[in-house]
Amino acid sequence: MDGLELCYASAGQLAPLIQNREVSPVEVIDAHLERIGATEGVLNSFITLLAEEARSSARRVEAEIQRGNYRGPLHGIPVGLKDLYNTAGVRTTSGSRIFDNYLPDRDCTVAARFHQAGGILLGKLNMHPFAYGPTGENADYGHMHNPWNPELITGGSSGGSGSAPAAGQCTIAMGSDTGGSVRIPAALCGIVGLKPTYGLVSRSGLTPLSWSMDHPGPMVRTVEDAALVMNVVAGHDPEDPGSARVETPDYTTALTGDIEGLRIGVPKEYFTAPLDPGVSQTVREAIGLLEDLGATVLEVDFPMFEYAQAVSGTVLMSEASAYHRDLLKRDADKIYPPVRLRLEAGLFVSAADYLKAQQGRSEFNRAVRRLFETVDLLAGPTEPVTAPRILAQEVQAGEMSIGTTAALTQYTRPYNITGSPAISVPCGFSQDGLPIGLQLAGRAFDETTVLRAAHAYEQATDWHRRRPPI
Amino acid sequence: MAEPNQISWETFLYMAGEAGLNTEDPHMEELFPYVENALQGLAALREMDTSNAEPDMAFIPDREG
Repeated sequence: MDGLELCYASAGQLAPLIQNREVSPVEVIDAHLERIGATEGVLNSFITLLAEEARSSARRVEAEIQRGNYRGPLHGIPVGLKDLYNTAGVRTTSGSRIFDNYLPDRDCTVAARFHQAGGILLGKLNMHPFAYGPTGENADYGHMHNPWNPELITGGSSGGSGSAPAAGQCTIAMGSDTGGSVRIPAALCGIVGLKPTYGLVSRSGLTPLSWSMDHPGPMVRTVEDAALVMNVVAGHDPEDPGSARVETPDYTTALTGDIEGLRIGVPKEYFTAPLDPGVSQTVREAIGLLEDLGATVLEVDFPMFEYAQAVSGTVLMSEASAYHRDLLKRDADKIYPPVRLRLEAGLFVSAADYLKAQQGRSEFNRAVRRLFETVDLLAGPTEPVTAPRILAQEVQAGEMSIGTTAALTQYTRPYNITGSPAISVPCGFSQDGLPIGLQLAGRAFDETTVLRAAHAYEQATDWHRRRPPI
Repeated sequence: MAEPNQISWETFLYMAGEAGLNTEDPHMEELFPYVENALQGLAALREMDTSNAEPDMAFIPDREG
């Protein structure tokens, strides 16, 4: 396997090669560092690259494996973490120069679990400042660029976590998703992004954006890799007050390829919302393939969908501004101006409106639970459009021109309100060669069904095997 | 049509001061229309019938499974 093949191999492919000593973790890390060297000048995926640390870890891991101490499928696999995951002794900026010198004294829970599993941290990934935006803009560390066309956005906020795996700069990335920030860049960069159920993956040691809607999740090139990551990072953490006390399965056992009889609901409202016709057609074809594979596809009503922006927007603005209030008083002039405006605007949301949004959230949850009494999954587009140009304020979705932020979060926000698991899986390309994502959402804690359907779809297609031109 | 969610310049300045923002800063001229637009974007919330719902103050996943 040559260097580029190592960079595009999944963790599921690399793991047996590393375990059997057919491939050395040192080779794997060197190949990735070379790939980063060749592409980073265009993509700007990383805020902090840990080249020497990664090489040193790879040598240690190689020695461990040679001694017979193989830890599991992530042992020796290159990992990138969005730069709001605290990492001991490694700066964690949250995407802002204000925290350029912040060195956490301990790892967040997710980083610690990767470390235990033998994952090798390649670096900290670029992001929209404070995770407050869906495009991947960052004036402090440079905007993120889409590997399929560098003039276009990666999507955000976990932009570097989208571009790095898509371009073969790392095998596994972790993002965080408050209104779509894992699924948006996954869809726009052509990779798999899983937002797990709220409380399933620990938020402890991550910079919050909205306490009640933040979800850490994997961003990888295959559904199998998402399952492998979940096997490491999912599970109760007493240090996260929102962490769920649930048993976690071996998520790879879900990957049977069998979706016979699975009931998949397609909300009518998804296709009456602003939506590019090419994306619509591609996603309908993807849903048709799921039907061909044995699923039963039903059109369903999701009337609450129209309130998703208002409910999640009110909660998000209030919670983000509450968290960053002291920063606004201290360092407002140093915050990326569009993010500063969003944070300041949240100070004007009344307590009554915040509570009304929480009431709305109760109704929203009730309605979605009712939907899941009749179907096992909800399917539709992850994004209404393909990747827009960097700094575009509006996008054309079918006949409508709408604000970029509203468009990009249109289909993703509902599942931050409900906390239910949702995945974006590549399902095709536009005529101009840009990736399109299919979103599948399931019942709370039913990641296995979400992964099973996504994997069955992936195995029946080759979209995930395509590589960007960079 | 959602009920307008408007705020006057005077109310805006009062609330900005209460929130600890510097109301003398020329930045207020930029922030005011942004706040107006942002609040208008949330106005659909007031159309929702929430008469039978208590605020979901803490989402507890164990309860939702």
